[in-house]
Amino acid sequence: MDLFLTQVVPVRQKLYRFAYRLLGNEEDAQDVTQDVLMKVWSQQEKMTELQNMEAWCMRITRNLALDKIKSKKYRLADELDRAGEVPATQHSPHAIAEKNDVMIKVRQVISELPEKYRTIIQLRDMDGYSYQEIADILELDMNEVKVNLHRARKAVREKLQNIQVYGL
Amino acid sequence: MDYNEIIVLLERYWEGETSLEEEALLRRFFSEPHPDMPEALQEAAPLFSYFQEEIEREYVMPEKPEQVPIPVATTAKVVQLSPFRHWMKYAAVLLMAVGMGYAMKQHQRQEMKARIVAAQQLKMEEEARLAYMETKKALQLLAKNLNKGTDKMQKLAYFNEAAGFIESSN
Repeated sequence: MDLFLTQVVPVRQKLYRFAYRLLGNEEDAQDVTQDVLMKVWSQQEKMTELQNMEAWCMRITRNLALDKIKSKKYRLADELDRAGEVPATQHSPHAIAEKNDVMIKVRQVISELPEKYRTIIQLRDMDGYSYQEIADILELDMNEVKVNLHRARKAVREKLQNIQVYGL
Repeated sequence: MDYNEIIVLLERYWEGETSLEEEALLRRFFSEPHPDMPEALQEAAPLFSYFQEEIEREYVMPEKPEQVPIPVATTAKVVQLSPFRHWMKYAAVLLMAVGMGYAMKQHQRQEMKARIVAAQQLKMEEEARLAYMETKKALQLLAKNLNKGTDKMQKLAYFNEAAGFIESSN
């Protein structure tokens, strides 16, 4: 019980963020996070054997989120719906509009990646996980993580170059 | 920081060879304004801005304390529940038992009735058979006695014939 309170409850927000990114929906992300907590709670006896509790929780989150996507034939929220969420800054309206436009495109580039690539980029570049931690979360070999991250970044780079050169 | 260093770092980033610290450095670099940024770096600027934005973006899960599994303390006081607390459960079980008993009794009664009717039917058939046998016996007796009468009548016929013959010969 102490382990649950000290190690699982504090990462609740991280799990929620991860679920939200996978599902693109606040309500389902909340459901999945609650399910993860319930599942972790029911498997408390396993906790003492684990080396990285956070990675284990993240792994459960991913599996449950992917199950949900499969079961509901999920449609990820339209990227344009989220365009308004980009926070406004102190720049001129034109600069804001231009920045938002670029952000939408980058967001779209990321969202168009295969799920594995997208998740690896998110875990590495937004959440700051190490290769080993990502390997634990995704149940992959560390070399596989590196290879996939390289491919993912390459794909992103190509798309960004296309946008810059051709405006695609 | 020198742009050339950043270009080298960025190249390593695309190859997936940078450490977490170096990636943080890149994010920091791109989050600051650089009016004379070389073209080689410009392609990556929006991506790192996006990362920075996502890192700063707060995904706050609304608090729903009732849904979080509440750990049950082992030292919790055990509350004795009265056996009559769930009286409706017991009442339902009792009602079901009574209902089943009643149904079984009804079934038995019906079976008994059917058996009695069958026995009565059998008895009536037996009586009818007996009556038939009795009647048959009586009719046979009558037939036998009637046959006795025909013998005598036959003899009487001979006698009449003989008497007629004698009378005609005289």
